[in-house]
Amino acid sequence: MNARDICIRGVGAVSSAGWSAAAKHEAVLAGEPLPSRPCARPGNVRKWPCESRFAPAAPPEKVARHPRLRRSSAITRYSVAAALEALTDAGHDPASPPAGLGILFVMMNGCVNYTGRFYDEVLQNPAQASPLIFPETVFNAPASHVASFLGVDGAVSTLLGSPNSIMEALDTAAFWIGSGIAQECLLIAAEECDWLSAEGLTYYHPKLIASEGAGALLLSASGGGPRVREIIGPLGYLSWQERCELLPQLAAQTLAQVQGPATLINDRTGIHKLDQAEIAAWSARPWDAVLSPKYVLGESMGASSALQLVLGTLAVRQTQQPVVISLPGSNTAAYSCVLTP
Amino acid sequence: MPPPSSQRIAITGAGIVSPLGSGWQANEQSLAADRTAFKPVELFDTRELIAKTAGVVDLPAENLFRRCPPHKQSFIDRGTHMLLMAIREALAQAGRSGLEGIDAIVVGTSAGAMPLGESYFEHAHHDAARVPAQLSRAEHYQPQRQMSSIAAEFDWRGPIIIVSNACASGANAIGWAAEMIRSGRAKRVLAGGYDALARLVFAGFDTLHALAPSGIPRPFDAQRDGLALGEGAAVMLLEAEEVRQSAALGEVSGYSTATDLHHLTQPDPAGKAAIRTMTTACAQAGVSPAQIGYINSHGTGTPFNDVAEAAAIAAWAGEAVAGIPVSSTKSSMGHLLGGAGAVEAVICLMALQGQWLPASLNVREVDPAVRFDLVRQFRRASLDYALTNSFGFGGTNATLVLQRRSA
Repeated sequence: MNARDICIRGVGAVSSAGWSAAAKHEAVLAGEPLPSRPCARPGNVRKWPCESRFAPAAPPEKVARHPRLRRSSAITRYSVAAALEALTDAGHDPASPPAGLGILFVMMNGCVNYTGRFYDEVLQNPAQASPLIFPETVFNAPASHVASFLGVDGAVSTLLGSPNSIMEALDTAAFWIGSGIAQECLLIAAEECDWLSAEGLTYYHPKLIASEGAGALLLSASGGGPRVREIIGPLGYLSWQERCELLPQLAAQTLAQVQGPATLINDRTGIHKLDQAEIAAWSARPWDAVLSPKYVLGESMGASSALQLVLGTLAVRQTQQPVVISLPGSNTAAYSCVLTP
Repeated sequence: MPPPSSQRIAITGAGIVSPLGSGWQANEQSLAADRTAFKPVELFDTRELIAKTAGVVDLPAENLFRRCPPHKQSFIDRGTHMLLMAIREALAQAGRSGLEGIDAIVVGTSAGAMPLGESYFEHAHHDAARVPAQLSRAEHYQPQRQMSSIAAEFDWRGPIIIVSNACASGANAIGWAAEMIRSGRAKRVLAGGYDALARLVFAGFDTLHALAPSGIPRPFDAQRDGLALGEGAAVMLLEAEEVRQSAALGEVSGYSTATDLHHLTQPDPAGKAAIRTMTTACAQAGVSPAQIGYINSHGTGTPFNDVAEAAAIAAWAGEAVAGIPVSSTKSSMGHLLGGAGAVEAVICLMALQGQWLPASLNVREVDPAVRFDLVRQFRRASLDYALTNSFGFGGTNATLVLQRRSA
């Protein structure tokens, strides 16, 4: 099985726009950046601007209850909420998920809140660092919690990488389903923000605004829903210049697959220096609509490509037209993806 | 249960870096000598910790990253160095100088480049102003950025998949690679795992009281009191039999993964997920438990793990259990976390090639849960199949079955 045989039966999202895919969709369609606020730094006052867009507090109906979630951090709570929404959207009862469900998780930074807290304790006095926190720092803790919450005891795995490594996860989901490792696959990409990651982004560019959230897609070989028609890439690069030179090739290969009216969901941040190569690459044809979730929601790192895919799925459902998703990445490889009705 | 797979997956190259040594030969000699490799940790401060020793790799002094600019060298993590060494050995063994013709790289890691993240954290905490080199620290903390340093060495621009399933990462990476070939998605994949010692991780296991206070792990000993950490890397080049271009050292004939939902860090006492992975991996390989000539156990030396794994092996093997040789090579080199599954898979390959069994060292009195043939010193043997178990935080279980191949 190839990723092109996969259909997206359900989607869910948590983002700076709220705790649903619909809230995100609405915000991105409005096209205006959501309000940001200075990201607080514990202990002292930062000597340069650093803005963030955190996810709002969870509405009561989105607070999942489970023993494993008592200590879990934001990334797990976002993931569980997005997963439940995706299952419901696919017509499943979240209380009894489908048999043979696999879970693939994608992240870049991972459990930064507990990692920072635990390491702070280690630096202060390792003999008194909390043994309860350490397991929550492990990259695959959120996937484990989601699996436990849903009762999924089959294939559960976590991938690390740039946000666009979700394309490798899509491909992996396809071969899991094709080879019987899983019957259906919940693909989740999530990230939580802390002051360290918000500052880290400002080293890339002072105007980058850190955000957080989760996107979830319920993937299946059948059952209806938008299809992953094509994944282009990886087009690997070893420098920013090489990346910029590759993007026209990525766009050309992708556009050869798309006829007629279509929507583009790009990676645009609103910062010209970071965006110009991508915008130029995709300008070869007119688009019915161009959506830029990162510009509206902020840079949610590992979650950002999933949020693009969730948005793309909703756009296909709404327009019944192809959607092209541009995933140029920033430090390893570029991808794109075509979704069709 | 899956039917036996007809797709043969050859292992044509393997590389290993462990506290026992760098390279196949050094590790084979150390295992044959029942040598242990624990020494005081000097990479970070352990004075306030219970454990103070680990299996530490001695990295060579020369510059391994020939294409990396000098000002970036210090941002390449120890684990990445080990991984590059293992990759170079695997490629050399397969008669290759580069990565041409390889469809993908799949690597497992638990901590990634954690020391870079630690350094970023410490600099950020220390100074509220913008700190030089923080961009490089933030970038190189990311495992994919570390992997791109390796990619640059080989001018590689293909897919790199980084699996992070805690201590089962390396085994899952090899298993995924095998499944990619079995499903026809790829013909030739480089797969393995790595992890280097990191202060946060070391302190984490210490706070859990999971580390042996004496620094000596005693897997399957009745009085075992914890594991020792280690570091290392291992890589295998897997090729579909029909495209194999060099002699096969062995085959990956079975793989399975499952999730233990019992607890975030503790295994189900009956080892139910392990029973499933061993059963399914053997079904895919088309072998019965009695045909398994060696099990390299997860065998951490913690009270919970070993008794659960022993119970799982007994339940899975049934009447055959007493005849199955089992050892934990973590007793000699420590627990290599994300590298463990890959290193232990390569040790299984070495055992199949050399027809020997590595030992579980440091055992004084065998735990009563042990019903298998615990290998307590290196011995010669005749075996065609070896099985290796890896279990990780989060409940990820993975089993690989490797098969002997004559050259």
